[in-house]
Amino acid sequence: MSGREAVLLGEMPSLSKLYLNAAAVAARSRVLGSGSVKTLPEAVHEVRGVRADAEKLTAFQHLLGLPARDWMPAGFVHVLGFPLAVSVMSREDFPLPLLGMIHLRNRVEQFRPVHYTRDLTLRSWADNVQGHRVGTQADLVVEVRDGTGGELLWRGVSTYLARGVFLPGVDKPAPRREPDDFSPPDPTALWRLGPGTGRDYAAVSGDFNPIHLSTLTARALGMRGMLAHGMYLASRALGEALPNDERSFTWDVDFGAPVFLPSTVALHFADAEDASGSWVRSDYAAWNARTGRKHFSGSVLPLGPGSGSTE
Amino acid sequence: MAPQGSNPAPLPLRKAVVVGGNRIPFARAGGPYTRSSNQDMLTAALDGLVARFGLQDERIGEVAAGAVLKHSRDFNLTREAVLGSALAHETPAYDLQQACATGLETVVGLANKIKLGQIDSAIAGGVDSASDAPIAVSEGLREVLLDLSRARTAKQKLAALSRLRPKDLAPNAPSTGEPRTGLSMGEHQALTTAQWKITREAQDELALASHRNLAAAYDRGFFDDLLTPYRGLTRDSNLRADTSAEKLAKLQPVFGRSLGAEATMTAGNSTPLTDGASTVLLASEDWAAAHDLPVLADVVDAEAAAVDFVHGKDGLLMAPVFAVPRLLERNGLTLADFDFFEIHEAFAGTVLSTLAAWEDEEFCRTRLGLGGPLGSIDRAKLNVNGSSLAAGHPFAATGGRIVATLAKMLHEKGSGRGLISVCAAGGQGVVAILEAR
Repeated sequence: MSGREAVLLGEMPSLSKLYLNAAAVAARSRVLGSGSVKTLPEAVHEVRGVRADAEKLTAFQHLLGLPARDWMPAGFVHVLGFPLAVSVMSREDFPLPLLGMIHLRNRVEQFRPVHYTRDLTLRSWADNVQGHRVGTQADLVVEVRDGTGGELLWRGVSTYLARGVFLPGVDKPAPRREPDDFSPPDPTALWRLGPGTGRDYAAVSGDFNPIHLSTLTARALGMRGMLAHGMYLASRALGEALPNDERSFTWDVDFGAPVFLPSTVALHFADAEDASGSWVRSDYAAWNARTGRKHFSGSVLPLGPGSGSTE
Repeated sequence: MAPQGSNPAPLPLRKAVVVGGNRIPFARAGGPYTRSSNQDMLTAALDGLVARFGLQDERIGEVAAGAVLKHSRDFNLTREAVLGSALAHETPAYDLQQACATGLETVVGLANKIKLGQIDSAIAGGVDSASDAPIAVSEGLREVLLDLSRARTAKQKLAALSRLRPKDLAPNAPSTGEPRTGLSMGEHQALTTAQWKITREAQDELALASHRNLAAAYDRGFFDDLLTPYRGLTRDSNLRADTSAEKLAKLQPVFGRSLGAEATMTAGNSTPLTDGASTVLLASEDWAAAHDLPVLADVVDAEAAAVDFVHGKDGLLMAPVFAVPRLLERNGLTLADFDFFEIHEAFAGTVLSTLAAWEDEEFCRTRLGLGGPLGSIDRAKLNVNGSSLAAGHPFAATGGRIVATLAKMLHEKGSGRGLISVCAAGGQGVVAILEAR
């Protein structure tokens, strides 16, 4: 991270303004041709003194069926940092278009549970640009520290794909992967997701991306229908895999076929314990209950002491 | 049937002990816990207990808790809180409901199971939210909806729907009124307060003592190991450390204004509607020792009573007056044998009417069947770390608050006994004895 330019923002950027701006940029580039930027920005965006809103936290917890603890669910910390990551992706020197990006993968390390009353410092930057067989992917990293420059509590890496965008100089697209031969196991859970699922999550996360809000607005952006937020699905899976998340853990999720709403999603959770009965890991997979198409899969593992920040 | 003499001798009962407790600060309704459900608060209180006593992944013998105002979706409230906690998921749990005595009754029932050797450890608790109260649909709408779900043809569905009237859309909110009398709890107590001629000054004095005692207990750190902050609250939000007799005297009466006697019950000498949760860890002596945990007090014995309040034979909240003499007699004790008295302050008038009844020779002779007055209580031993008037009263959570508080007081003193008295809606009451360890 050395040599990166720090950009200290006065406050958490507004997600809706960023989306509006991105829409304007997208329209302009359609007229003027796409930009000439070929590399990821070196900048690190930082906001200090970030504090969660108790009412929003409670609403998030209730929507996901979690008890309203004082510790923030890891998915809520992601929500807290998401506008900052979007602000990095909205920079003029960010080479990929914000609108239409697809969330491929998410990996979170929670080194310590994050209490909602703490003043936090959040930093975000882009990293690891790579070719993908249908476009270009990049990681957006968010780090959450206690106070100003204090202990690293939480780090999330979200991998996004810009479909149809190929940057010169970026690695050749990886060879096409073997087709996913997913065969659904016996379900241990069934989620009936109503048509309001996207709107409900938008209300607690602030992510009002139109592809989640209604079939009409999703189709306007080229989607087949409205789809559930990936992080809604992932956060709910985390809550079921690890109901008491007041601890250190890693949590990852790989997204497959989008969940078009309304939908019934079948899931399989599997927990592993060691010989002494201590929890070792939980794995989960989710698929369309009717077609068997895989929606996402992931795992949650405890983070032992000493496995914290590498910095 | 075998002759009586051949029955095996009953096994001697082992002791059930209080290891400790944990609660979240109590909040006045409409405060910081407004959006928190019963399950949220019970989980928060349980989390703190688990953390304090290192119960992660522990299979507890049984967890029992309850809520007085309960949503129908919370049919397995306690089990769901256990599943959301760090306790082993193999921990069984059940819900219990006995109005304001819920919390104390969970302690009594679980302690009895420990004494019988059925379980070695237990968590008792209670929670209530007056803010997040359930609201039900009207009877009319409920019947239509049920008929609609049973209807098979469009005609049947239409017939069911056609019975719906605009008035059916008005929801039903819970109230503190007694189902049989329609009087609120405060109005019932106002009758009792007037009957026992309890003065406004005496009630305000008790309320003032409650606030002062609770504030002093917080100031000396008494609650440091009995409480986990929640949603930004570190102390009970109803506590007014700076209240005074003058301030309390200025409040207008809110109950008993239609009685012939002068109205004396105000918002200051009545408990407010409150949100909160409490838990108590109980164990056998062996379990506590094996887990290297402290032992604060023994749960000695308990007694429940009920009174016929419906047509005014006795006051709604006077059942403990009858329970205590029976409990004392069974244990061969008198009021003089106790070092602490924890009489739940539903209203200041409740506590003072209870004390007045025990001091009244005629009442004790004719109604309690005693040879004379049960006796007086030294006020210096009464609710010495404050009670519900100051802390607030989230109905089912009060029993757990009192048991954990009294157990710690007894342990600090190192000897002696404490008497707990909790009155409840429906003319009921539960009382219990704890002994120091």
